[in-house]
Amino acid sequence: MDWWIKNEKGQVQFMGGKQDWLQVASIASNCPDFAPDYEEELLAEEEISCYNCRFRRWTEGSFTCSKR
Amino acid sequence: MRIYVAIDDTDSIEEGSTGESANRIIRMIEKRQWGNCQGLTRHQLLLHPDIPYTSHNSAMCFTADIEADYLDLLIKEAGEFLELDSAPGSDPGLCIAVEGHIQDERKLINYGYEAKKRVITKEEAYQLAREIGVVHLSEHGGTGIGVIGALAGVGLRLTNNDGRFQGKLVLKAPGSTITVTEILSSGPTEIVQSLDSYALGEEEEVRLGDKLKTVLLNGKRTLLVYQQEGSTKWETCTRAQLEKY
Repeated sequence: MDWWIKNEKGQVQFMGGKQDWLQVASIASNCPDFAPDYEEELLAEEEISCYNCRFRRWTEGSFTCSKR
Repeated sequence: MRIYVAIDDTDSIEEGSTGESANRIIRMIEKRQWGNCQGLTRHQLLLHPDIPYTSHNSAMCFTADIEADYLDLLIKEAGEFLELDSAPGSDPGLCIAVEGHIQDERKLINYGYEAKKRVITKEEAYQLAREIGVVHLSEHGGTGIGVIGALAGVGLRLTNNDGRFQGKLVLKAPGSTITVTEILSSGPTEIVQSLDSYALGEEEEVRLGDKLKTVLLNGKRTLLVYQQEGSTKWETCTRAQLEKY
């Protein structure tokens, strides 16, 4: 399944929202661009997770990925 | 005098961190012996498509007790630091307010809460700062829209009920059980409290999770705990549980 869509600004947005912990851990563990953000911005308990990645940009309901 | 120092928008997607910039200003203040700084807090602002934030739209704020004679120097050097240190393409803002000198704290607090709910302009930020006598609000590169969040950072810190403290607590190993007394004596936690505001007694025990973070509640550095369904044992909250703080 493709977890990404282009939003109205043309950015690649995750479709699973902000609570899909297992999915974003799985995506990040296979992502060559994953880089951990600074400590104060980490959200997931799993260290390797899109929610903890420097290249995610939060939106109201989800996040966009600047590397996709 | 006690001052509030807040900054915003010092990073880019590729480099920098507003929290790290704030830490460097703290180190500058303490290294030059201008005064002593207290806990650095992160304050979440509105996530909205019309706001050009980098990745999370959060401001950072700390308090410091300094000699009044150093205030002008601090303002000058913190501004210069932001110009030199901030990431290319960022829009840094700096706000410094003096405790007891703000003419209407309620207005600044309301502004902080507004910055979580609606899009605010730079002009609004400057107008409010002038109106209530905030000592200093300045931009240091790019569009300078970081002044909006910097002012909000001070307002939200003033609420005494917003923000997570930067850094992780270091206590015992994850999975260990520890008493509240031990937590409080290890510093800098001031109270251990449940998500529904029950303050734990000194002899009560808490099982430690992996990442221990404190939040600002009722003016105190608070370690939040919870009980899993069906359990009477306290556990420290996860990052996800602390997201709203």
